[in-house]
Amino acid sequence: MYLTREEERILAGEEGEAKAEALRIIVKVGEALGAERLVPIAHAHVSGISYGTIGDHGASLLEDLASRGARVAVPTTVNPVGYDAEDPGVLEKAGARITPEFVKGQSRILGALRRMGADLTLTCTPYYIPEVRGIPAGSSVAWGESNAILYANSVLGLRTNREGGPLALMAALTGRTYYWGMHLDQERVPQILYNVEGGILDEARAGVLGEIIATSHKGHRPPLVNARLRDEIALREFLAALGAAGSLAMAHIQGVTPEKPPEKPEERITISAKDLEERLDKYRPTGTPDVIFIGCPHAQASDVERLARLLRGAGRVRARVVVTLSKREYSRLLANNPRIIGDLSRMGVIIARDTCLIVSPFGQPGTRVATNSYKALFYLSKRGMKVSLAPLKDLARIAVEGV
Amino acid sequence: MEGQAVSLKGRVLVEGNATGKAVVVEALSFYGEVDPKTGTLNDGRSITGRVLVIGRPRGSTVGSYTIYGLKYYGKAPKAIIVENDADPILVAGAVLAGIPLVDRVMGALSAISDCDQVEVLSSGVVRVYKSKA
Repeated sequence: MYLTREEERILAGEEGEAKAEALRIIVKVGEALGAERLVPIAHAHVSGISYGTIGDHGASLLEDLASRGARVAVPTTVNPVGYDAEDPGVLEKAGARITPEFVKGQSRILGALRRMGADLTLTCTPYYIPEVRGIPAGSSVAWGESNAILYANSVLGLRTNREGGPLALMAALTGRTYYWGMHLDQERVPQILYNVEGGILDEARAGVLGEIIATSHKGHRPPLVNARLRDEIALREFLAALGAAGSLAMAHIQGVTPEKPPEKPEERITISAKDLEERLDKYRPTGTPDVIFIGCPHAQASDVERLARLLRGAGRVRARVVVTLSKREYSRLLANNPRIIGDLSRMGVIIARDTCLIVSPFGQPGTRVATNSYKALFYLSKRGMKVSLAPLKDLARIAVEGV
Repeated sequence: MEGQAVSLKGRVLVEGNATGKAVVVEALSFYGEVDPKTGTLNDGRSITGRVLVIGRPRGSTVGSYTIYGLKYYGKAPKAIIVENDADPILVAGAVLAGIPLVDRVMGALSAISDCDQVEVLSSGVVRVYKSKA
């Protein structure tokens, strides 16, 4: 691999042993993939930081890096963790079990990330942070978290591969990643057009559309998608579903993606309204759930405000409602209406920051969950829960009336 | 060493010399299929101190932390050989843990069986000494 003089110096340890090791990992992975050089990045987003998944050994690795002087070289944000860092017990009302050992292990991980200079945003939607939205389209970044990766490439025009595990962190520490895959112009050109017929898609239908494309798409080039997604939630849920059900890093969405698609795609596939309804039939709620979950990926303040409008006038909800969002959106929510969280809480709606039901120790096999997120359905089903899918307006009705 | 050696060659990703008995797995996801605290696979076989032979790596990217965990708990394999291409999960984990890694070892799965003695050289040469069983 071609390395600049500065990169050679870093590898030789002139900027510290930890940075040299981080760059060695990036170079080795790049070599294994066949990259010819590295590319500077403007931002990094680190996933895989939950104590539940990386354990004591993951915490020790991060502490070791921090104590050897590793510091981020570019602005770096991080994914959610197993509980609300400012109110660790808040999800216990929904049945999550947060042990002192879990809090201790998670605190070690967050402490090490803070020492390395990461911004502890604890959200899977870094793309709603104004500084991130200010990064010019076309810039290379290194992101973990599949839904965020899809959003970065498809909506913001940023360029990132799926940098899972410690790779986004190593890129953060060196300010570089391997020049390969989604960083290259030609890899971003779609070949197959999906024409989605029928009306405007709400987020539940957008989710099953994501599943259909992710599981049938051939090749690794981004699909070109012509669909009428109703709103920002539908866009977010479509991309999250695409990221959960497959290994794509980008979708080229007509009217959304800033890059220009080819005039003549090589292949055209039609997805009918019937295809979507049939797929959704598999996931429709059939009984009153134990928990209704909104906020995978993290909700925006406006989503919670919409939920509050839908629930207005109802008494206490019949199924526990959990909404997860970033602390930034939580603050925005309070700024718009200081009473909203208290009002919702009295109805039985739990609002939690920094976490979500996928990364928290929530639920057990058989727990019944209804959600507007295909991604949440995908991951919670893997843990044996019985998960159904419906748009927000239907979930609000189910919360009040049951099924 | 006993028996006739078979010589294979692969691409060196993490350099190192190592010798050990083989444990052969067709496809492996480190996250969920290897316990870093005990160094055992889900089927009960131990990879600690062995040369781990993988047909193709797969699975969650958290696997890099699991590979580091094997080293952290003193349960690491001596070397890892991959018949196909190593993926970023495996490369990052092997560099972090300092475990020699050779990929693109054509014919590894058919040439190597459990308990064969395997020698990995820093040149990427893999020598296989068949066990008598």
